[in-house]
Amino acid sequence: MIAMKKRKNVLMAFALMLFATLSAAAQTKQEEVKIKTSAVCKMCKATIEKSLAYEKGIKEATLDVPSQIVTVTFNPTKTNAARIKKAINETGYDADQLPADARAYDRLDDCCKKDKGIHEN
Amino acid sequence: MNSIYKSYTKLIRIAAIFLLLPQLINAQTIKGTVLDGSEPNTQIPLPGANVYWLGTTQGTITDSLGNFSLEQRDAASNLVISYVGFTGDTIQVNNTTQFYRISLAPQGSLNEVVVKSSPTYISRTETAKIETITTKELQKAACCNLSESFETNASVDVSYSDAVTGAKQVQMLGLDGTYVQINSENIPSIRGLSTTYGLSFVPGTWISAIDVGKGAGSVVNGYESIAGQINVELQKPETSDRLLLNTYINDMGRTELNLTLAHPFNKKWSTGLLLHGSRMGDELESKMDRNKDGFLDLPMSKQYNVVNRWKYNGERVQSQFGIKALYDSRKGGQMNYYQPEHQEMDTIPVDMDHGPGHEDMPNYYLQKKPYYGTSTETRRIEGFAKTALLFPETPYKGLGLILSGINHEQNSFFGYNTYNGKQQTVYANLIYQTIINNTNHGLKFGASYLLDSYNEQYRDSTFARTESVPGVFGEYTYTIPEKFTAVVGLRTDFHNMYGPIVTPRVHLKYNLTPQTTLRASAGSGFRVANPIAENTSVLISSRQLLVKGQLEPEKAWNYGVNLTHEFTILGKNGLLGVDLYRTDFINQIITDMDTDPRQIAFYNLDGKSYANSAQVELQYEPLKSLDVKMAYKYYDVKNTINGELLARQFVSRNRFFLNLGYATKFDKWKLDFTTQWHGAKRIPSTSANEEVYRRDSYSPAYLLFNAQVTRAFKKWDIYLGGENLGNFRQSNPIIAADQPFGPNFDASLIWGPVYGRMIYAGMRFKIK
Repeated sequence: MIAMKKRKNVLMAFALMLFATLSAAAQTKQEEVKIKTSAVCKMCKATIEKSLAYEKGIKEATLDVPSQIVTVTFNPTKTNAARIKKAINETGYDADQLPADARAYDRLDDCCKKDKGIHEN
Repeated sequence: MNSIYKSYTKLIRIAAIFLLLPQLINAQTIKGTVLDGSEPNTQIPLPGANVYWLGTTQGTITDSLGNFSLEQRDAASNLVISYVGFTGDTIQVNNTTQFYRISLAPQGSLNEVVVKSSPTYISRTETAKIETITTKELQKAACCNLSESFETNASVDVSYSDAVTGAKQVQMLGLDGTYVQINSENIPSIRGLSTTYGLSFVPGTWISAIDVGKGAGSVVNGYESIAGQINVELQKPETSDRLLLNTYINDMGRTELNLTLAHPFNKKWSTGLLLHGSRMGDELESKMDRNKDGFLDLPMSKQYNVVNRWKYNGERVQSQFGIKALYDSRKGGQMNYYQPEHQEMDTIPVDMDHGPGHEDMPNYYLQKKPYYGTSTETRRIEGFAKTALLFPETPYKGLGLILSGINHEQNSFFGYNTYNGKQQTVYANLIYQTIINNTNHGLKFGASYLLDSYNEQYRDSTFARTESVPGVFGEYTYTIPEKFTAVVGLRTDFHNMYGPIVTPRVHLKYNLTPQTTLRASAGSGFRVANPIAENTSVLISSRQLLVKGQLEPEKAWNYGVNLTHEFTILGKNGLLGVDLYRTDFINQIITDMDTDPRQIAFYNLDGKSYANSAQVELQYEPLKSLDVKMAYKYYDVKNTINGELLARQFVSRNRFFLNLGYATKFDKWKLDFTTQWHGAKRIPSTSANEEVYRRDSYSPAYLLFNAQVTRAFKKWDIYLGGENLGNFRQSNPIIAADQPFGPNFDASLIWGPVYGRMIYAGMRFKIK
């Protein structure tokens, strides 16, 4: 009987711990930043979103091609807006006032070059 | 009465046309000019540009001032403007009175048109069915070299050639890889003496793309392709990652290291360095002989391989040159051959009779028994240069020169069979590309020169020959935009040994609907066989090698049709392809392993030899991120061996292929699964052998499974996979494995994998 109770307590403690962890996770701070990029097409959207997905601390990134704005949700304890912009630059795109890394830009597909203007497909 | 009525209506019609004509012109003729967009501040016209209504054959070309006028009919409102060397444009025409100024942007890289360093160049891509295997696809098979790169491609089959050297061969249309022209960046690469091992000389991570074309190829690349062409593109210094490091290890003890480096100095100059080192099983481990026949299942191997190239991208000149060097060694045979304590000999009792009066003496004596070893060492050095002259004012023109020189040496022995070969090759190809009036009529012509010097020694015989082949070629491309393309090519080569060789080739492409394309091709091919180098595997046997008569060059015709249909079902895209090809040999060097199991004979074809193939391929994405590819292939390949029309040895009549690829969001996890079913294959007759040394006349059908999982990080990828997961093995691959110097020994009757399941792991690290 005592053994049973003990096991129950252990289970309770475990459940509590799990709950605590879950709520802690839910409470992690999330911040959102909007960055203007030099993306011009769907391919650029895919490239930037994929590249940001591999960055530390980034929860989600969504780029809107017509406005060229990428909305990034991130954990401020792990990254910050400056780092996110740097990652965008290294992918070959301007991020707000920061210019794209020249080599990365050269490597972009022809349809993703700035002079193409915003276009479909 | 009737005729009067007819004339009357005719008259009315003519009158109506005359009355309405000026109005038609005024209201519905579009006028405009096409300009070169590369110089935004100047207004350079583009003469000869194509202007046509989307989805129709109605169009025109611009005059010498870049001007055009085109009638607008029906509901056509999208005007397409295209010009070779420029990115095409489509404009919406709403206002017919407006004068349209259209400036086209030059294409990013003219490489595509002239230097041919990019996967395919324009006219071919459109007309012949070319499948491109990209890096993404190549990573699905992590190991190890070109021979493993076709795992996820339905058109190319890979076979095993022998039980000792571990060399793999490709097959297309049911024909051996020797009938496939394998180029490295459009320079003839795997041919002649490198046929057997050449595929393993191109490490997988060096490859940026592979183009696979079935049937007759373009005459621009030479006369040798019969069953198809494979062009391998290596990592480019100006576009590839700055650094890519790949490591690989498998449970057979193979370790591999690949490093590719790219360094751009400035906008114009860049250099790339590709390095490869691999080794397998230097210290002998028992797992190297899984089937317990005393022989290594795979050879112990070592390979060092390097490529360095330099590239210059100017406005008028593009050039690249470089050097390739390779050392490859593989040692196989019996395990005991490599044991230091009895490296050469072991003793066995041999019966003997000393005759009457010597009954007290032992009735045997001890004889030393040699072990069977094989060794192949290859040293190869190659230099190449490709230069293109560009004409920025007339981007449809280009002049390209390809030069290459190769020195290839192979030294080998298989038991007592020694084979040494040396091949020296010089190749030059000059190509001029232009248009006639407008880009609907493309023209390429040029001249080539091939020098091949062979010196082969097999046991105590020497075979030497020098081939010197100058040639000229021309290829005309006719295009009705979006509808029809025809490529007609002809080349004539003047062979110093075999006289003039005329090679005609035709490719047609017709778009039945925007989603359905019908293609057809026909053409001839010609090659001089190197029977020993191409059949190294038979040297690993006690078969006696015979060459009957004077061997003539191989010549064949190839015809094919294929249909590609893109479709959308339930919102998901798919592709259906049907390919039908036939190859008819006029002459072929027959590899006769059937007439006598103690012999291998080479002789000219006397009778029929053909290969019919049919392939049905389906690609579909039933769920997001799940790609399914499946293909069924039927091969009817027969040749006349000793007066009898027999199925080609080791070719399955039926094959099935299935590839499943799944990737999570942003490709963080990638899972791949491939299965291949090989139908029964004919095995050369062993009926003349003693019963214990006979084999079935057909192999069983078998299934192979491969799978791989890759996890990607920002700079890293790690992968884990397995080949032949079902652990299927050909049982008793070697006949008389216990008597390698006896008359029945034969390791050449291989139809399936000799080693079983193989698990591997590795990682890739890149700096962009």
